[in-house]
Amino acid sequence: MPSDRIPVEPTLEELSAYLDHELDAAAQARVAEHVAGCAECTRRLERLRETVHAVRALPMETPSRTFTIPAQRRQSFRWAPLGWIGGAAAALLIVVAGVTQLHGPSFSTTAASKGAGAQYAAAPNSQVAPLERSNDTASALAQRGASANSKTVVDPQSSSRSLTISADASSYAASGIMTIHVTTRGLSSAEAASVRVLLMRETGQPGYTVRLEPPSNAPTYPVDWEAAYSISQMHLPAPVAGRYSLQVTITKSDGQSLTATLPVTITP
Amino acid sequence: MVASNKSNDDRDLVGRARRGDREAFTQLIMQYQVPLYNMALRMVGRPDDAADIAQEAFLRAWEKIRTLRDAPFKSWLFQIGANLCYDHFRRGKRYGVMPDEDQASTQTSNVLGLGFSTPDPQERAEANERTRLVRDSISALDHDMRIAIILRDVNGMAYDEIAAVLRVPLGTVKSRIARARAQVQERLQQHPDFFPTREDAHAE
Repeated sequence: MPSDRIPVEPTLEELSAYLDHELDAAAQARVAEHVAGCAECTRRLERLRETVHAVRALPMETPSRTFTIPAQRRQSFRWAPLGWIGGAAAALLIVVAGVTQLHGPSFSTTAASKGAGAQYAAAPNSQVAPLERSNDTASALAQRGASANSKTVVDPQSSSRSLTISADASSYAASGIMTIHVTTRGLSSAEAASVRVLLMRETGQPGYTVRLEPPSNAPTYPVDWEAAYSISQMHLPAPVAGRYSLQVTITKSDGQSLTATLPVTITP
Repeated sequence: MVASNKSNDDRDLVGRARRGDREAFTQLIMQYQVPLYNMALRMVGRPDDAADIAQEAFLRAWEKIRTLRDAPFKSWLFQIGANLCYDHFRRGKRYGVMPDEDQASTQTSNVLGLGFSTPDPQERAEANERTRLVRDSISALDHDMRIAIILRDVNGMAYDEIAAVLRVPLGTVKSRIARARAQVQERLQQHPDFFPTREDAHAE
């Protein structure tokens, strides 16, 4: 075709983007002009357009279930600790640690002020990032050694699989630092799961829950990390002192989960 | 487009969700569950897997929403969902071939009668057949091309939005979509009745 009269033949990419109106105005016009004068490209464009229409005609399917976010993190921790459980489709590892109450702004914005107490009560009221001192914390836990507070839960379906949560003490001052270690054994990467750690209040004002965020550099898999948290940064509602539980839950990619719970006490 | 209104609505809901408002996040779920699920469905094929992926994406989004700064929620959510689809493939074809959805069965299914064992009214059967051919053509694409054409033609995203979801340059989006369409077209053309156009009559 005479290239002096009509613009150069558009590429596949240009035709495709032309259909989407994703070319700049000049290119859009150039393609249109060429196609108008070229039967072959008209055919190319039409066939591509029909293909696009065919793909767009795929029905939008409705999922067979509703998607939710955990409203009852706390409840599930109550019944989950004994082993892998079927259920939540999500991959979660939850460590719930009980700490006494502190004053927390996030408490008032979630549970208190929304007027939907039941719905919010179980979700973490706040979350806290670990302190950035991984080397120090590693040695802190190592120094206190195996006598530290620790709990291992074995998967009832496979005794080679286990989840362990350790803390560097069983009792902390309200102004103290809590160091925890979370690790799993016997899980393959095909069963990879994400991790969630929670600290839940058992006495006083029950239901207050703090999410302990994993270290930002912790690999998603394998699960094996240690982190230190400032209890005062957890903004627990007063009175802070009391019994808590530290809970880690891992949910495998097949939806089964395993939870380990560790009691801890916070003193004034 | 309602896009800007939508993202303004999102901003409000996202702001509330960041502060722990579950109800706000639930509204975001309701808004995006169908498109997100369909993206996953067209990527991985099996409804159960797609639902798992969508559920996991929402959970992760809920968990991480505080880390979301100025990026639009939608792109971010679909990015999580797309990554989960890739994870799904990386974990291996755990479910093996899909009996009635795997593209490899396109030819053998006619012979073996696996594809259409359920007797539908003819018209519906034809529509189903077209749907199946398109679905199979998409699932024959490599993952990068597949996600690009899905985000564009199933989810109706603009190129810059797709670039944000996939974290690739705009030019890459453009070329992946084009190549994906060309390959889908190629496959569909192998079925003589798929494009019943008059051009075929005289031009070929």
